[in-house]
Amino acid sequence: MTDEQAVLRCQNGEHEAFRYLVERYKDVLFGTAVLMTGDRALAEEQVQEALLAAWRGISGFQSGRPVKPWLVRILVNAVVSQRRRRAIDTVPLETYSHADDRPSPGETVEANLNREEIREALGGLSADHRQVVVLRYFADLTVPELAEAIGVREGTVKSRLSRALGQLREHLASGGAREAYSHGQ
Amino acid sequence: MASNYGSDQEMEQALREHFATEAEELRAPDNLWASIEGRMDLQPTRHPVTQVRRRILGALKQHWFPVMATGGAVAVAASAVFLVSRATQDEFSGSEADAAPAAVATAAPAGAMAIRELPVEKIVTPATALMPQAVAAEAAPQREAPATILRPTVVAASPQPVTVEKSVTREVIVEKVVEKTVQVEASGRVPPAATVAPQAAASQRVATPASARPPATTFQDYRRQPFVATAEDAVSTFSLDTDRTSYQLALSWLQEGYDIEPDSVRAEEWINAFDYQYEQPADDWGFAITSDVALHPLEGGRHLVRIGFQAAEVPDDRPLNVTLVLDASGSMGDGNRVDIARAAAESIRQSLRPQDRLAVVHFTQDVIHEFTVEHTSPDAPGVQRSIQRLAPHGSTNVQAGLNQGVRLADRIRQERPEAYNYVILMSDGVANVDATNPFAILESAYDRNALNPLRLITIGVGINNYNDVLLEQLAQHGNGWYRYLDDTGQARATFSRDNWLALSTPFADQTRAQVTWDPDLVKSWRIIGYENRVTSDQSFAEDRKEFAEIPSGAATTVFYEIELHDRALARAGQDVTLANVELRWVVAETGQSRSQRSEVRGRLDSSLNASGDPLLQLGAIVALSADRYGGLFDGEYVAEISRDLTELEDRLRSLNSSLGGLGAYQDFRFMLEHMAEQARAQAPPAAPSGYSR
Repeated sequence: MTDEQAVLRCQNGEHEAFRYLVERYKDVLFGTAVLMTGDRALAEEQVQEALLAAWRGISGFQSGRPVKPWLVRILVNAVVSQRRRRAIDTVPLETYSHADDRPSPGETVEANLNREEIREALGGLSADHRQVVVLRYFADLTVPELAEAIGVREGTVKSRLSRALGQLREHLASGGAREAYSHGQ
Repeated sequence: MASNYGSDQEMEQALREHFATEAEELRAPDNLWASIEGRMDLQPTRHPVTQVRRRILGALKQHWFPVMATGGAVAVAASAVFLVSRATQDEFSGSEADAAPAAVATAAPAGAMAIRELPVEKIVTPATALMPQAVAAEAAPQREAPATILRPTVVAASPQPVTVEKSVTREVIVEKVVEKTVQVEASGRVPPAATVAPQAAASQRVATPASARPPATTFQDYRRQPFVATAEDAVSTFSLDTDRTSYQLALSWLQEGYDIEPDSVRAEEWINAFDYQYEQPADDWGFAITSDVALHPLEGGRHLVRIGFQAAEVPDDRPLNVTLVLDASGSMGDGNRVDIARAAAESIRQSLRPQDRLAVVHFTQDVIHEFTVEHTSPDAPGVQRSIQRLAPHGSTNVQAGLNQGVRLADRIRQERPEAYNYVILMSDGVANVDATNPFAILESAYDRNALNPLRLITIGVGINNYNDVLLEQLAQHGNGWYRYLDDTGQARATFSRDNWLALSTPFADQTRAQVTWDPDLVKSWRIIGYENRVTSDQSFAEDRKEFAEIPSGAATTVFYEIELHDRALARAGQDVTLANVELRWVVAETGQSRSQRSEVRGRLDSSLNASGDPLLQLGAIVALSADRYGGLFDGEYVAEISRDLTELEDRLRSLNSSLGGLGAYQDFRFMLEHMAEQARAQAPPAAPSGYSR
């Protein structure tokens, strides 16, 4: 089944077709939510709400358009809305509980150190910058898809990405010294 | 370490590898599907209306466009019908006009539009009269009135401005329609700060099917009010308003992943969505009228004026006669609309007292008589059962439902004349059988008892395929108010016992205000929002049903942008009286007319920040944001709007320290950030972003 077929079947009320879409995109949505919120429980809640919102709104979705950016957009709005409600500017990335922080088999101690440093560097980014990094390199959205997902111009996405990459490099170059995050304005 | 990430490309590569490693830990829980499947109990079905609309539009492309290419007037005829029928509102609230003819525009072969006079009842189903045979046949039996759907398509396709022969009886309305049509074709919107002659042209449109907008949503684009030179017209008259639905709809759209449709924004409903914590009036018979004056945060040299009207909170133990009219049509099966309606209805039932009476009507293509419960005690088992049996199927005949509701309400009103009477319509507003425009519906459900009126409350549910215009106008002209509910929790909270007691205690009916600016001090003025509440200065003296019903303890706020004469600016730093304001209303309890006067007074040349009132600052930002965003239309003045919204966004951010703990502030900040981004995304590339003027 293609996404387009699944959407059409969802529009006829078929739960199984929606299940297909959920199974296909749940990992990318959940991972995105964890990386944005830093909280696995909250992420799970937001993904559930976003998927239910997608189900409610799927009758208006134009079949043939890509599904993933649409789902990500709903999720991003849910997360941002929730964050505003809680008046949280950013959540340090380290606060999300890792299932297992030990090096996986085959992973060198050095690789694990790199992983920690990158996590920390990501945690030091502003919410806006971390969002574009996560959506671009984790959710693997293209720049136009990303722009649509977060409702900004492509140029804005590119400039945010560029600044975010610069800050990450700077952070990692400085040996990981943690800075107070900027709001990236 | 630095050498590993020496370039952006290396950093990108490192991030991709990093996230690939992390992916294993970031897998969704196995039970995700199970946890949502149980909550997907209602199907996101396409409503027949959507399909009928598509068929109509398809047929239009086939059959109508050639006609328009030579004629071009059919479109305006279709547009005119809605507004012409709108003009009959005066007749509904007046006394003489039931038999008065109304004008209906019909297509003329040479591109001109002829006006002929028809009895009012001919207006009720305009679509079939205007539709080509083939389309009408295909659309049967719904007899959908597609005027609202046709207009944008047809206007865009109309090759040239259309001339009009004036109708004797309805020329003003028809002229307005044509003007709007021509302006849309020619240029779009009035610039935010333009000083132009007053016009109140309005047009109804359906959301363009842009990807990020809720589809099949019907709203009305009321032209924003222009600046008015005080020397020419010093008097501003408008109906108060306590609705906040436009704001709630916009928030829901964003949370569901859609953009806010600019034409859906009614600034007054955004402004009135917030509680500015006005002081209560000293006496419980009237209003506390407050005013504030501050420098305009966007327009150098101008001032902003806020006037607040706070109704007294009065206990009133009169019993209630409540009639629930519940939409059980197929479109209510979208998402959780039925759940919301059921939750709201049940909350109302539980909030009623033993002395109140409740009736329930379900309707689809007609009233479902087996579910109808005539007025009885709210605790009677049949009532609760009827509410629980609400289920979606069939098409939508709002007129039939309301007629039955009004019949029942009228009967109980005669039996219990001491009670207040509420008819509560819960619907997505997607009417497609019999009368489908609010004035035709209200006409047939006309309430002729002005002394103890029926109060029509409309409760909207749904995101896609939602008719905001119908529900808003029914309430405005039905002596009631309009609310939007987006989930069951909100439905229960809105109609909790405490809220219900306040909402269901009417304080003032037919409430309107008149502000008279001092021409010696004020050079020009402009009201923000209230486009469909502004009324003629002469009508201020009349008690009219379309003026607002204000519940006990409710507040209404209005903002004006004003420009002062130099002689006024010379009084910078002083307290100055800029205008007089008068409020008139009918006391709900006694039916007597009342009035109250006050002065609009404040310190000139004082900044908003200097007011020390963050809620005043918030209100100003809300008002200006809604006003500017509402103008984001077809690419006109986008750079100015983008600049204004960006500046407002910065100002709102600066209120975080004082208001950041409020959910309402955070919600609005979330909205404004999207609105500003939206405007920037549409602004011409040359326009810089993030600056002050």
